[in-house]
Amino acid sequence: MAETMMAFPDLRHPFAQTPIHPDGSATVLYQGKTITVAKVGPGPGLLIQPTDLPSINGYEVKPEGACFEDLCVPLNDSILRDIDGQQWFDQTAFADLLGQVYVADEAANVWSFADIPSHRQNTLVDAMAPDFEVTDRQGNVIRMADLKGKKALIVTWSSW
Amino acid sequence: MPVWQRIYEEINAEIENPNFVLICAAQDVAGEAVAGPIFDAANPTYVQVVDADHIISSAFNFVNVPSAAWVDEEGRIVRIDEGTYSTIHEFGEGEQKISFGNDVYAPALKDWVANGSNSKHVQSAATVAGNFRQHTDDQLKAEAAFRLGNLFRAHGFADQADQYWEMARALNPDSVNFIRQHLTLTEEGSAGETFQQMMGEYISQGKDYYRPLDFEADAE
Repeated sequence: MAETMMAFPDLRHPFAQTPIHPDGSATVLYQGKTITVAKVGPGPGLLIQPTDLPSINGYEVKPEGACFEDLCVPLNDSILRDIDGQQWFDQTAFADLLGQVYVADEAANVWSFADIPSHRQNTLVDAMAPDFEVTDRQGNVIRMADLKGKKALIVTWSSW
Repeated sequence: MPVWQRIYEEINAEIENPNFVLICAAQDVAGEAVAGPIFDAANPTYVQVVDADHIISSAFNFVNVPSAAWVDEEGRIVRIDEGTYSTIHEFGEGEQKISFGNDVYAPALKDWVANGSNSKHVQSAATVAGNFRQHTDDQLKAEAAFRLGNLFRAHGFADQADQYWEMARALNPDSVNFIRQHLTLTEEGSAGETFQQMMGEYISQGKDYYRPLDFEADAE
């Protein structure tokens, strides 16, 4: 039964080992994206350069705080930190502030963040579809918002 | 997948101006290598997505495949989280024969595409909200752990992949997706005895991996 229900078993075992990122950098996973951060500060936690923040989660550091669309989150000294004259953004402290959960493999310096709760439609009061972004096999980016004006069936399947 | 292509073609042929998009997302951490040939064999004209990180299931809080959402022109979900079978599938012969799926989903889908908000299969916002699963912080964390495992797997680190997929399963024991995807790393595969045992426990605990599918109950 296993053979008939799971296609291509030989292709499922891990490939040859390859480095996840160059020494001294970190990898951040968020919403299906893999972001390599070239420079990180001394831990604990994930300290990034403020200019790297938009590439991770779309937020941007401004005088009024970390801003995403119309929302600005005021930042305190525990998030925007000065260490030896260099300014760092504590991404993990920011996640804690937002209530965003994450899992880290600090040995490999990889940080995987779940969705930001305020961005995620976990409770469907009005039944509006949650936003998502994926790329199709032709390389087109598909967003929920782009489907407005059409009826859509969004169906998942698997080969396993 | 060939069946979905047939249904997609029928919708476009039978319904005037269907204004309909079909997105089929293959959830598989092994990616294009395993999903691509299956897609290609169907000669699909619908939107094909290889969703290694299960992004769509995360967005809609699905816990099994095949699952789906019907989304209307305004972006409102009108049905969600049902066993989305395009037909009845049968394997084997005699006592070994197994069958699953149904032949009622596709006609209901066509009715909705043809009649829109007037279709009897459109559910109220309250019903949809009730069928939309709520996810706890642990279940959200499970998604982060799952994707961490995926990264390790893609770079050939099987032990770490196993560690984080195990974490994902523990944090979200409701996810059949995590159970089966994890088992693809084993020699036994995703449909062997371990899977059967796990699903036996899952069902005995009263869990449901789909919302009830009962199109006959829809009001006229």
